Amino acid sequence: MTCREFEPMLHAFVDGELDVETTTAAQAHVSSCPECHGRVDGERRLRLLLGQQPQDVAPPELRARLLAVARWERRRAALRVWLGVPAFAIAAVLLAALLMTRAMPPGPSAPRFVDTLVDKHLVYAQIESPAEFTSSEPGQVAAWLRNRIGMRVPVPDYSHAGIRLVGARIAEADERKLAYLLYEKGHMLMSVFMLPDAAEAQTLPGKAVSYRGHEYLTRERKSLRTVSWRDGQAVFSLVSMLDYDALLECADRLRAERARETRL
Amino acid sequence: MLRWVRGRGQAPEFEDVALVHLDLLYRTALRLTHNRAEAEDLVQETWLRALRHFDQFDPGSNCRAWLVTILRNAFLNKLRREGRERLESEAAGDSAGSATFEDSAVERSTPEEEFLQTVFHGDVERALKTLSEASRQVIMLADLEGFTYREIAQVLSCPIGTVMSRLSRARQLLRKELRALAREHGYSEGSR
Repeated sequence: MTCREFEPMLHAFVDGELDVETTTAAQAHVSSCPECHGRVDGERRLRLLLGQQPQDVAPPELRARLLAVARWERRRAALRVWLGVPAFAIAAVLLAALLMTRAMPPGPSAPRFVDTLVDKHLVYAQIESPAEFTSSEPGQVAAWLRNRIGMRVPVPDYSHAGIRLVGARIAEADERKLAYLLYEKGHMLMSVFMLPDAAEAQTLPGKAVSYRGHEYLTRERKSLRTVSWRDGQAVFSLVSMLDYDALLECADRLRAERARETRL
Repeated sequence: MLRWVRGRGQAPEFEDVALVHLDLLYRTALRLTHNRAEAEDLVQETWLRALRHFDQFDPGSNCRAWLVTILRNAFLNKLRREGRERLESEAAGDSAGSATFEDSAVERSTPEEEFLQTVFHGDVERALKTLSEASRQVIMLADLEGFTYREIAQVLSCPIGTVMSRLSRARQLLRKELRALAREHGYSEGSR
């Protein structure tokens, strides 16, 4: 091999991109030609220098965000499979507990209100970060909600049932502020909206059922089941793809958690 | 009580194959955008696109090249959307300033390239910034990330021969810049 022949393959040689035969021939030339040897040496030094450059690493927050994005995206895709409906109707599990504040203006009719919550859930199921505050610690979530809306709100722990707390947000439905909790079970969502103190007597929609000595109203809409009830001044409404047994169990625990909070 | 349909069966989860390349994606995005916030957005967009097309990804094929290709396309689309023709104009400027073989032979007059020893990390950054986007990309991928020519060809969607010629030209330009910076630091030819 001559210098002229070697020249065009200098970089491929240094980068180890030549085939075995050509590499052998090139190596033989480089060993016998001080000038080409110098060039190869120079290229290697440059590569070495570049390889020693400090390398940026992705910030941990970005990493965490991407993992969350992947989880949400997969959940949405899986829901699409489950529901067999287009992306807009994606929804997993919603557990919406509704409590209304005294300060709020009289609301619209109850059926429409619960429907609004179902729609809210459908929206939250599709956005990438449904929770404004992310924590799996009920105490932290309760504290955040207390600071944000100045209300004591029960944050039940369902982890024994594999239902993990994701976080919370302040939701708005019909110009009312709702406290909203979000849970997930595997790829499924479970959200909780919470607002204490409903001013006016709301007529809640649905079929009356009794569970562990308490009355609940059940209603199905857009493939989601809702379980609603009144507890003192508060109105709760759970909306979910979970079956009614699971929902009622969640409702019962939420009720117990609220009773415990009230005693404190 | 809960039923879940997993469409993917035993296939690896997206995160399992993609997350190991996150630093690479972030660095590549930084080099394209020169802005940390923009880089993060670009990585997130890439991540989402890749995730949505993960079913089209062949697990046996090259994941990092696939991801960087998506990232690059996302970046180019964004430029087009914003009406910025930075890439194209820079590519044009590059050919004007490209060194011929004869030039580079002159630049290589010190075969041992001692001047490289006087180069600081900051110099490399500065020198890289003087290169066109196309030249910088090819050097970054080859020399900083260790991509093969085939991977680079995939990312830049060009033939391997083009990768070789671009890489050779880009390295000559970079060397020229570094030499100039070394002179600024007081390095003179034959001083050692």
